[in-house]
Amino acid sequence: MARIYMGKRKMLGKHVLLIVLCCIYLIPLYSLTLAAFRPGRDLLRYGITLKTLIPTDLHLETFRGLFTIRDGIYFTWFGNSVVLMLIQTVLALFFSSFVAYGLSVYQFKGRKIVTTLVIFLMLVPIQILILPLYKLMITINLIDTFFGVFLPMIVSPFAIFFFKQYIDGIPRDLIDAGRIDGLSEYGIYFRIVMPIMPPAFSAMAIFMSMQSWNNFLWPLIVLRSGTKFTLPIGLNTLLTPYASGYDLLIIGALAATLPIIIVFIFFQRYFISGLTSGGVKG
Amino acid sequence: MKRILLLMVLAISMVSMVFGAGSAESAKPEATKATEVSLWTFQDIHLPFYEKMAEKWNEQNPNRQIKLVGEVLPYEDMHTKLLVSLQAGTGAPDIVDIEIAKYPNFLKGDIQLAPLNDLIDPVRDNFITARLDIYSKDGKNYGLPFHVGAEVIYYNMDILNAAGVDPYKIKTWDDYMAAGKIVKAKTGKPMTTLEVTEHWSFWPLIAQQGSDLLDKDGNVILDNDINVKTLQFLKDMMNSGVAIAAPGGFHHAEEYYGFMNDGGAASIWMPMWYMNRFTDYMPDLDGKILILPMPRFTENGARSAGMGGTGTSVTLQARDLQLSKDFLMFAKGSEEGNILLWEDLGFDPPRWDVWDDPAMNAPNKFTKFFINDDIFGMLLEIKDEIMGVNIKEKLPAVIDRLKSSVMIQSLQQQNKTPYQALKEASDLSR
Amino acid sequence: MSAKRIHTSMQIAPYVFILPFIASFLIFYLYPIISTFIMGFQQVYPGQVEFIGLQNYQKLNNPEFKVALFNSFRYTVYTIALLIPIPLFLSVLLNSGNRNMNTVYRSILYIPSLVSIVVAGTIMRLLFASSTKSIVNTLVVFFGGEARQWLLAGPSQAMILLLVLALWRWVGVNIIYFLSGLQSIPEELYEAADIDGASSFQKLKRITIPLLKPTTIFVTTISIFGGFAMFEESFILWAGKPSPNNVGLTMVGHLYNKGFQEGEMGMASAIGIILLIIVFSLSLTFLKMFGFFENEGRR
Repeated sequence: MARIYMGKRKMLGKHVLLIVLCCIYLIPLYSLTLAAFRPGRDLLRYGITLKTLIPTDLHLETFRGLFTIRDGIYFTWFGNSVVLMLIQTVLALFFSSFVAYGLSVYQFKGRKIVTTLVIFLMLVPIQILILPLYKLMITINLIDTFFGVFLPMIVSPFAIFFFKQYIDGIPRDLIDAGRIDGLSEYGIYFRIVMPIMPPAFSAMAIFMSMQSWNNFLWPLIVLRSGTKFTLPIGLNTLLTPYASGYDLLIIGALAATLPIIIVFIFFQRYFISGLTSGGVKG
Repeated sequence: MKRILLLMVLAISMVSMVFGAGSAESAKPEATKATEVSLWTFQDIHLPFYEKMAEKWNEQNPNRQIKLVGEVLPYEDMHTKLLVSLQAGTGAPDIVDIEIAKYPNFLKGDIQLAPLNDLIDPVRDNFITARLDIYSKDGKNYGLPFHVGAEVIYYNMDILNAAGVDPYKIKTWDDYMAAGKIVKAKTGKPMTTLEVTEHWSFWPLIAQQGSDLLDKDGNVILDNDINVKTLQFLKDMMNSGVAIAAPGGFHHAEEYYGFMNDGGAASIWMPMWYMNRFTDYMPDLDGKILILPMPRFTENGARSAGMGGTGTSVTLQARDLQLSKDFLMFAKGSEEGNILLWEDLGFDPPRWDVWDDPAMNAPNKFTKFFINDDIFGMLLEIKDEIMGVNIKEKLPAVIDRLKSSVMIQSLQQQNKTPYQALKEASDLSR
Repeated sequence: MSAKRIHTSMQIAPYVFILPFIASFLIFYLYPIISTFIMGFQQVYPGQVEFIGLQNYQKLNNPEFKVALFNSFRYTVYTIALLIPIPLFLSVLLNSGNRNMNTVYRSILYIPSLVSIVVAGTIMRLLFASSTKSIVNTLVVFFGGEARQWLLAGPSQAMILLLVLALWRWVGVNIIYFLSGLQSIPEELYEAADIDGASSFQKLKRITIPLLKPTTIFVTTISIFGGFAMFEESFILWAGKPSPNNVGLTMVGHLYNKGFQEGEMGMASAIGIILLIIVFSLSLTFLKMFGFFENEGRR
C-alpha cells in the first residue's frame, strides 16, 4: 500500500511540474498572440507589459495591416516562403533518397568513403561556407533568385543518412525479387522501394519543410529585392527604428507562426518520427 | 526509367513555374512611358522627400519621366546588401542612401559608384564643399549630402521651467553641468541622456574642440587627450545623475522616443536633422522644445560641429545611369531641392546660396513645433563655428568599436576607464 | 534483359545513384571549402585580389576575435550543460504514466522549436524590453530586483537571454531524442531491477543513463555543432546592430560582419577556416571517444 501511495504523490508532483513548465513555455506564444492586436509602436516602446497580457481592448484592425501595409507585401512573402518550401522539400526528398538507396543497397568501390563523407558533411555548418557559396552564386548568376536559395540545400547529408537507415531495414529479398521480375536497377528503386517509403518520406518532408520555412541566414544573403523575400527575411526588415513597419512585424510574426502550429497539431506523429528514426541509431 | 523522367520533368516544370512567374511579372507592359528608377534608403523619412522631388522632376521633364520605386531596409541590413550587391555586380538599386559611417566601405577597391563631378562642377562653389568632400576619393565626388548637420541642443522647457533654469544662461559645459544638477535636484529628472550604443553623444563634443576620431590623413587619433577628457566628462555626468544612459541605448531607439515623449529628460544634443524625429516620433513635446547652440568648452570655443550625414549615390549598375544621376542632382543638388530639404525634413541644406532665401525664415512645421521663431536664423549665427570631421577609410571600423564597446564599457558598465576603452579601440582599428 | 546487361547495369547503377551527392559535394562543399582556404591568404576587394600570406590570421590575434571565440565556446558549453540533463530528466518523467497526458506535455514543449528565429527573437526582445513596464522587468521588480536594460546590461545578462532563448526552443527537441532512446531500452531490464529491489535513482544511474549513451552522444554532437554555428539568435536580439561590448558576438557573427558588412572577405575566410577546424575536431573527437565509428563499421 505504501508504495502505491508514494507513487501517487510522485505522479502528482510530476503533473504539477510539467503543467507549470508547459505554462511557462506557452507564455511567449500567448504574448505574441495578444501583442499582435496592439499598436506596434507602443509595443516597441514599452515592450510586452502586464497590460498586454490581459485580453481586453484588442485592436482587431491590426489584422487588416496584413493586407494593406505596403500593398499587402506580407502575402508576397508568404507565397515566396510556400513556393520555396515546396520546391526545396520535393527535390531534397527525391535526390537524398535516391543517393541513400545507392549507398544502402550496393557494394561498390568507394561506398565506404562516400558513406563516411556523408557523415562528415553532417558536421559542416553551412554558416561557415556562406562566403564562398555566395561568391559561387554570383559567378553562376543566381543571386536574388529562388534557385540560389534552394540549390545548395537539395542534397542534404542529413536526409541521406536518414533514408539510408530506413532502406537498410528493407528486406533484401524484396529487391532481389524485383530483379527476377526483370526490373532495371532504377525500376526497383521507383517501383519497389519508393512505394514502401512514404512513412520515411513524410517524416523527412516535415523536417525539410520546417527547415526551409524557417531558414534565415542563407536567404538573407541571397535575396535582395523586397518582392522576393521569404517571411523571415521580410519580417526581419521590419525590425528597424528608422521605419514604420512595427504594426506589420507583430501581426506578421503571428500569421507566420500559426499555420505551422496548426499543421503540427494535425501531423504530430510525422514531426516526431522525422526527428528520431534517423539520427540516433548510432 | 520512365518514372525518373517523369519526376525530372515534374521537378523542372515546378522550378520553371517559379521563374516563369518571375519573368511574367517583370515583362508586364508599363502603363506610362516613365523609366523606373529604384532607390534604397534606411531612413523612412527620406522617402517622401524623394517622391516629392520625383513629381517635380516629372513636371519639368515631361520627356524624361521617371517612376521612383523606393524601398526602406534596416540600417545594417541595407548597407550589407548594398555592399554584397556591388561586389556581385548585380542586385544593387539605381540610387542609394549611404550613411556617413559606412561610406568609406564603398570606396575600397574598384569603386562601384558613379562619379558625379560632371554635374557638381558647374555649381560646386554654391556648396559647402566640406560636405561634398566627405563622399569623395581622389578628387571624384560619389555622393550628394543631405545637410550640414549642425549640432544643436534641444531643451525641454517644461522641465527647465519647473527647475527654474534659464537655458540662455548656459554658456559653457560647466554651466550645463551645474544646471543639470539643479534640474536633477528639483525635478528628479536627468538633464540629458547619453548614447551608449552609438556615438552621437561623444563625437560632436570632441569635434567642437577641434579633435576627431581620425586625423586629416586618416590616422586613428581616437585615444588622444581631448577625447579621453571628454569621455571622462560624460562619465562624470552619468555618475552625478545629470545624465542617464539612453533607454534602448541610442537616440533612435523606439524605447527612447517613448521615454522622451513622456518628458523623460530635460535636454538632448543632436544635430539639426534630429528635429524631424521630434515632430514625427515625439508629438507630445509640441510647443515645449527650445533649440539653442551647444555650450562651449572654452571662452571662445566653437558652439557646434557638423555631424552625421548620408551620401546619396548612383551605382554603376543603374539601368539608366545618366537619368539616375540627373534626377539625383535635381533632388539633392538643385536650389529647390535644398529648400525642400529644409521645409520638409528640417535639414540645414548643404547649398549655402539658398540660405538667404525667404523660404528659410518662413514658418513651417518645425517653427510651429519648436519654441524658436526663427530656427534658421539661429543656425546662421553659428555657421562659422560648425567644426568639420574627417571621413576616411578607417572610419567604419572606429565607429563600429565606439558603438559596440567604447561607450558601453566606459559609460554604462564602467568596467574600463575612458582611457582604457579608447586606447583598446584605437589599437584595434589601427 | 540478359544476365550480362543486368550485371553491367549493377556495376554502373550505384554510381548513378550517388551522382547527385557527388555533384553537390564537389560544388557546394569541396569547392567552397577550398576557396575559403585560399581566400584566407588573400585580401579580397572588388576587382583587387592580393596574396598576403598569413596576415589575415595574424590580424585575428585581437580582443574582438577572442571575444567571439570565447562567446561561442561559452554558449556551447552552457547549452550542453543545460540542454542534456534537463531534457533527459523530463523525458524520464514523460516515459511513464498516462500516455495521452504525456503526449500533450511533449507537444507543448516541442512547439517552440517550430517558431522561426525571427519571431522567437522578436518576442524575447519584447518580453525583455528595457522599459520598467516590460513583463520581465515587472517580475524582477516584484521579486525585489532592479529593472534593467537587459540587452545592454552586460555579458552575463546577454548570455542569460541567449540561454533562455535556447532553452525555450530546444528542450522539446532534445526530449524527443531522449524519449526515443528510452523507448528502445528493453522493459525487462527494469523489471529485473525491480525484482532486485533497486530504487528509482539506482535504475536511472545503472540502466537508463548508460543505455542512453548513443542518444547522449548524438545530442552532444549536434549541440557542439549548433553552439558554434550560433549567429541568428544574437543577430535578431540586437536587431542586426553590433551588440554592446560585443556580448552577443559569435564566431559566425564575426565572420558575417567582416565578410558582408565590412567587405573583408579575406579575414572572414580565415575566421571560417578556424571555425571549421574547431567544429570538426571537437565533434570528431567526441564521436570517436564514444566509439561511434566502430558501430558504423559493424553495420
